[in-house]
Amino acid sequence: MIHLKKISINQLICLVILTQVGVSVLEIPYAESRRSGYDSWMSILVGGLFAQIAIIVIYQLGKRYPEQSLQQYIFSIIGKPLGSLVNLLFALYCAQSSLIVVISYANVLNRWVLFQTPFYVLVGISVVVAAYIASSTLRSISTITQSILSMFLISAVIILISGMGKGDWRHFMPIGTHGIGAIIKDAVPAFWAYAGYELLLYVFPFVKCNKKKDIFIAMSIANGLTTLFYLLIAIIVTYNFSESQLNTITEPMVYILRKFRWPVVQSLDILFMTLWLSITTVTVYVYLFLSARYFAFIGRKEIRKHPLLVWIIGILCFTVGIWFSDRQSIFKFSAYHNKATMIMVAIVPTIFLLISYVRDKVARK
Amino acid sequence: MKADLLIEKNEKSLRELLFNSSDFKFSDFGTGNRSYRLFYLETMIESAKVQDHIIRPLLTNMKGSVREAVSILDYSETDLLLDASKALVEGKTVVQINGEAKFYLLGTELIKERSVNIPMNERALRGSHEALNENINTNLNMMRKLIETPDLVVKFFQLGRRSKTKVAILYLNSLANEVVVAEFERRIANIDIDYVEAPGFIQELIEKKKFTLFPKALVTERTDRINSYLMDGKIAIMTDGSPDCLIVPVSFWAFFQSPDDYQIGWLIGSAIRLLRILAFILAFSLPGIYVALVTFDPRIVPFEIALTLQSSMQFIALPPVLEAILMLLILEILREATVRLPSPIAQTIGVVGGIVIGTVVVQANLISNMMVIVVALTGIASFNIPSYEMSSVARLLTYPFIVMASIFGLIGLEISFLLLLTHLSRLDTMGIPYFYSWFTADTIKDTLFRFPIRSLKKRPFESMAKETTRLKNPRG
Repeated sequence: MIHLKKISINQLICLVILTQVGVSVLEIPYAESRRSGYDSWMSILVGGLFAQIAIIVIYQLGKRYPEQSLQQYIFSIIGKPLGSLVNLLFALYCAQSSLIVVISYANVLNRWVLFQTPFYVLVGISVVVAAYIASSTLRSISTITQSILSMFLISAVIILISGMGKGDWRHFMPIGTHGIGAIIKDAVPAFWAYAGYELLLYVFPFVKCNKKKDIFIAMSIANGLTTLFYLLIAIIVTYNFSESQLNTITEPMVYILRKFRWPVVQSLDILFMTLWLSITTVTVYVYLFLSARYFAFIGRKEIRKHPLLVWIIGILCFTVGIWFSDRQSIFKFSAYHNKATMIMVAIVPTIFLLISYVRDKVARK
Repeated sequence: MKADLLIEKNEKSLRELLFNSSDFKFSDFGTGNRSYRLFYLETMIESAKVQDHIIRPLLTNMKGSVREAVSILDYSETDLLLDASKALVEGKTVVQINGEAKFYLLGTELIKERSVNIPMNERALRGSHEALNENINTNLNMMRKLIETPDLVVKFFQLGRRSKTKVAILYLNSLANEVVVAEFERRIANIDIDYVEAPGFIQELIEKKKFTLFPKALVTERTDRINSYLMDGKIAIMTDGSPDCLIVPVSFWAFFQSPDDYQIGWLIGSAIRLLRILAFILAFSLPGIYVALVTFDPRIVPFEIALTLQSSMQFIALPPVLEAILMLLILEILREATVRLPSPIAQTIGVVGGIVIGTVVVQANLISNMMVIVVALTGIASFNIPSYEMSSVARLLTYPFIVMASIFGLIGLEISFLLLLTHLSRLDTMGIPYFYSWFTADTIKDTLFRFPIRSLKKRPFESMAKETTRLKNPRG
């Protein structure tokens, strides 16, 4: 039998882009324009830079243990009991990430596309699809993600076409009046939208590459493309809506798609949201997969029944998810989740990196 | 049991070994002081061969041995009765000299075979018009003539405890991955069954048990196709008595390739390849898309078209889901009928089915005009796929897609697509992925498109060939 376990650089790029991009596309740049207004596109750019810094940290951490995933080398950084705890936290964080994407998008679908389908059915079907995909091997998942990239490209083209409608470039003027402070403050919610690159913590040893640096380049390319995509959306939205309009519209992209008239397709927004389901599904299944992998390393030994773990986590997500049918509770949940993201994606890896540096220094003396 | 000196005794024992078969015959002749007896199965031998190459030389030859006299290539000697009886069944003539406890086994079997024909099930406009037939030796002869190199390895296996079917594995030694070859050889050698029906039995028995609709081995009867796959480093499995050859390991994309693609220009080849893949997608999703649009999201289609749809569905009592399933079932029944019927009647069925049912069903307001168009297009699209196995997959996949579309609309379709994609990505043949994405620079060249030959520098990924470079210098 031939065993292929590694994924290619190309597949890594696809995985990262599609994990980063998710439900937030519909809401950009609502959260980012609270303080910076029509300058939100700069916040998004700065958010991308923040993400790039986090990628550097994660990459440095991975490079120190190139043969292992975080799940395994965590024990050599902070020891056995703490390592298990961190694995558990990461597992919960990943499960929570997929849960929030599932419920947010089920909510979107419920409001815009399938009005009469009960909320729990939408959550259930998203979880089932994602869990089925997540129970496969990393390689299969990468193949699926690569195929879904074509849907992403179609969606991007739809966004681009519909954004070219009637707008006004004067909405951007005068550039930068909100001040650097506001822009940087709004880069924080933008930073949350970029989460997804932390999958490198797990994937690092499984990437087939000549030099380890290729991984970093690939991650940077992926993050750069995502930044570009978000920037494009922010620019399109600002081009179409003025600042006062932006303050009342929470999902501007949907309105832009809806008002666009095309002789072949009457309402692009439904088509777009249907296609976009597959892209949010990528985020869901990647996090489900990661969550199961983190859970596998909680105990003394690795738990080898990956599909079983995935389905258990999926069922948990479903049972928790059906309680979030109204929008306000989702807002509360995502506010909490954003803080968790900040900690798990940026702060925790930095601490690990520092500890492992210090350990090295101590060991050398 | 050893042969006896006495011919009469031997005859009796042979008759017993063959259970008194009525076609067991013998004939006596002799010259000088020698007398011979020939044993044979009259249904199995070619009498001209026996007369010209055995009897006549033996009659003229007085002193020399049998070997010196007969002009038969396939010659062997034995003193075991059991061997003699086996040889008889294979169509050999067994000669015994009176007073000698020894049999001469001479190959005189009658070979009846269909002449080499043009491919019936895989038509192609360009390319060779030579198809395999039922005789494995003829088939191997054709393949050897196409690939005249000692590199081509032919290995025989006997399958079937009772049927003793001859199975041959072909591969190019310098290309085929030895792990894959060894594993397939092991799997074939380990099959213990009393009778094989080729190639279906072998195909199922050498695969791992996995629940899937998709064919994991390609069945072909075209010699040029086998040739090109062997050159990719794949393995061909031929069976005596069957004009079909199995190719392993193949990927999903192989089922959309046709020898034609490589004969016409690459642009047209790519266009036709794309068309085929599009037809495959349409074949399983079109009724679903229609049902989703009509029942869930008529908002998506432009207003004027929505009006047309509405007017065609105005008097139809059945819901679109039932309409679609009913109409597809009718199509399937018609299709099966035309395959089984003798060809002149099959045409009548086409007329009755296509025209009569098609028009009457609409006039009776049972099924809408649109649905007839959709189903007809679906049916024709499924014929575009070069492999019968793959087109059957498309036919069967239609139904779950319709059901999902009727429950969740376009979202349901999307989910079905994702599930299908996942299922495909999870399949593998001996660890080699069955479906790989068309989205990378290397694989796109011969999957969705057919790039110019000079850019097809590498062999396909799934054959795991020892040498991956196919083309080194594209210029003359």
